[in-house]
Amino acid sequence: MKKIVTLTINKEHYEVAVEPNRTLADLLRYDLGLTGTKKGCDTGDCGACTVVLDGDVVNSCLVLALQADNTTIETIEGLSNEDGLHPLQEAFVEKGAIQCGFCTPGMIMSAKNLLDKNGNPSDTEIREGLSGNLCRCTGYTKIFEAVSSQCSDNQGGSNE
Amino acid sequence: MLLPKFEFYEPTSIQEAIDLKKKYRGKAKLMAGGTDLLVHLKKKLVTADHLISLAKIKELSQVQQAGDTLKIGTCVTMSQLSKSAVIQEKFGAIKTASDNLGTHLIRNRATLGGNVCNASPAGEALPSLIVYQAQVRLQGPEGKRKIPVESFFKGPGKTDIHEGEILVGFQLPLPEKNYGAHYLQLGKRKSSEINVVNVAAFVEINPADQTVKTARIALGSVAATPIRSFHAEDVLTNKAPGEAVFYEAGEAARHKDCQPIDDFRGTAAYRRAMIGVLTKRTLETACKLAMAQ
Repeated sequence: MKKIVTLTINKEHYEVAVEPNRTLADLLRYDLGLTGTKKGCDTGDCGACTVVLDGDVVNSCLVLALQADNTTIETIEGLSNEDGLHPLQEAFVEKGAIQCGFCTPGMIMSAKNLLDKNGNPSDTEIREGLSGNLCRCTGYTKIFEAVSSQCSDNQGGSNE
Repeated sequence: MLLPKFEFYEPTSIQEAIDLKKKYRGKAKLMAGGTDLLVHLKKKLVTADHLISLAKIKELSQVQQAGDTLKIGTCVTMSQLSKSAVIQEKFGAIKTASDNLGTHLIRNRATLGGNVCNASPAGEALPSLIVYQAQVRLQGPEGKRKIPVESFFKGPGKTDIHEGEILVGFQLPLPEKNYGAHYLQLGKRKSSEINVVNVAAFVEINPADQTVKTARIALGSVAATPIRSFHAEDVLTNKAPGEAVFYEAGEAARHKDCQPIDDFRGTAAYRRAMIGVLTKRTLETACKLAMAQ
């Protein structure tokens, strides 16, 4: 039986009727058309579906939509605005940290959550912060460089 | 992958959860973080017509120190454990285990109760819970009971939980003085791994003569359940800690206590060899911590 879920996504209020077996990833993609959040493995291994739920990153494929009732969600769609891309997105473009782009939304949400919690993470903390997101194209170095360039002291690579 | 159809419940009290489980019995599954259960449902490895989430029962998500015991609720997540002051200070081997389960995305949802109820021989938190002598707190229609976590596991995926019962949490004695504990795991990579072997050790030193008063060692991934390494513990007891004794204990664990199998993660022979190494290394750190107190 469908139930109503009330949640805030990227500062907008939503009320959606969902079946109990709907995951948060499917709610975002299929009910709300927020297809920036990707589905890769659907089993919590790849991180393509990463979103921020009440301040913490989660695999949205392993959260039921009903569990997201009364929560606040951030997805990749919330980052850019009418002035253009978010600085972190710019950094990914600048450093060539995107190839096929499939892992990018999840990767950026993990990186953003890391930087929101700690504006100046060490190299190890950046690597750990990205360790739940798989990328099959870039070899990770460019992604690391993009995130590192956004650290508050902006000295990526020498801050450890 | 689609989740099969089910009805979903979010009780807010333990009694309500017990009543729901009693009503739907075998057709209902209890869910804590869901990081394993939802995958198993998607892959059709388990079925459930009714899913009962325990996440909205507030008391199950708390870490509480009361006198000389620590209570950990079944829905406490790995991230919560990693950040808990009392876990960091007194239960280092649980902190290390919770730091190393899955990825940080998984750790934000995965719970201690879920890790224990899955009863994987390779479960990250299980050896540490065993060496700290954790008790499992169960509650069901018949009332409450407590059993040592060590005797809770009955085989891969099998536990001593009775139909209708809920694992509500854990109770651990606060270690006193002159003790140290450590946990090590070996996998193929740093993140999102499944252990090839894992070992936890707890050592209490007798301050009068600096010998080992008590040693508890638990081995994971080398039997149908996590197991105690009694022969290795015997090697240590009443001896002065040192490289040679640690090596001997490792050899005892390797040759007498573990019963590994060959599988795609590693051969039995490799597992045995690594149990020797990890036992020795965990003991080195545990003893160093115990002597430093």
